[in-house]
Amino acid sequence: MDPVLPYLVCLVLALTIYAAIRPASLSFQVGAIVATVAAAGWLIGIVASILSSLDGDAATPFFIIFSLTLLGAAVRMISHERPIYCALHFVLVVIASAGLLLLLEAEFMAFAIIIVYAGAIIVTYMFVLMLANQSADPNIPDPRTFYDKIPREPAAAVGVGFLLLCIVTGTVLHGTTQLPVQPQETIVWQTLEQLPKQFKRSVLELDDTFAWPPEVNEQGVAIQIENESAFVVSSDGVRLELNQTLLPTNTQAVGWSLINDFPVSLELAGVILLMAMLGAAVLARRAIELGEREKRAALLANEEASS
Amino acid sequence: MLASFGAATLASYLIVSGILLVIGIIGFLVRRNLIVMFLCTELMFQAAAIAFVAVGRYYLDYSGQVMVIFILTVAAAEAALALALVVFMHRQRDSLDPDVYGELAE
Repeated sequence: MDPVLPYLVCLVLALTIYAAIRPASLSFQVGAIVATVAAAGWLIGIVASILSSLDGDAATPFFIIFSLTLLGAAVRMISHERPIYCALHFVLVVIASAGLLLLLEAEFMAFAIIIVYAGAIIVTYMFVLMLANQSADPNIPDPRTFYDKIPREPAAAVGVGFLLLCIVTGTVLHGTTQLPVQPQETIVWQTLEQLPKQFKRSVLELDDTFAWPPEVNEQGVAIQIENESAFVVSSDGVRLELNQTLLPTNTQAVGWSLINDFPVSLELAGVILLMAMLGAAVLARRAIELGEREKRAALLANEEASS
Repeated sequence: MLASFGAATLASYLIVSGILLVIGIIGFLVRRNLIVMFLCTELMFQAAAIAFVAVGRYYLDYSGQVMVIFILTVAAAEAALALALVVFMHRQRDSLDPDVYGELAE
């Protein structure tokens, strides 16, 4: 294991990010972003090759495409001088990270992220950007404001980022090898057993002569694993093989985990959203100053409306 | 479906997430536009979401994906409140430069 090379690549990555966020010509910036993406890919490759001595798998082509798109769009986002384009590059970041989540078999979260981020949050940002950037004046040739052109302390920020990136890299290199051994397939099948009605329905669909309930083994588990195939044993001793299509879908499993493991957090999330809605309404409300005459007219109109 | 998923693959996802987090922090420190600074915090939220899902996938545990739901909640609440504040402040001074609002700290 060579511990110096990843940190050197972190340094290269930090320098290319520094080149990308400094004010420069467009071609220079694009070149710096390409260099940043290349350095990021180099870092990922080095770390994966150091760790792949433990197991033989490597990144898929889709992983490379999505992750490099993600990082390139992110760097372009923090270096672009016009806020609208920053928001649009963030949409690209969201779509690429949804691709990464699809590779991780988190289908529900991938589409939820696209809907909530690209569909709701970014639209809100775009509205506020368009409200705030009153640059429709055709007499001004350059609509960019001075504070978007000049970055603040790029060297110090990149230094902080470099240190943090070194810490992350070091943790990934020395931390993941000490994680406990990966769990067996039983955990996958437990997600089916946690949904008793679906478990019963899918078993009876496979074989409607099955004598419910199934036998449980000494750990209290009905679904048993033998030679990488799962089976249940009925109460009169008939053995039934289960196939993988019976497993709950990603959405079912996430919903089960959300309701079963985090009920209080779910309620708290609802309270947070309600408070944010009320707070935003109070903050963004425009106070209207009424004179005496308008106040009296408004009162009269109110009384007429109520009577 | 749900094939084995090794330490090298997990490490690649974690490194991507770490680089994304660092880019978000650099953007937050460097940019001088309040709205873009808040966009950079969303970038950091994305990094956290990828890390959560990758580690959850490694342990075949769905809690990581549930955490992403809470991240989405917090991000939506933060966007609503922060943008309301930005609109409010922009109405007072007609600028998005945080240096203009320096006296708020005093």
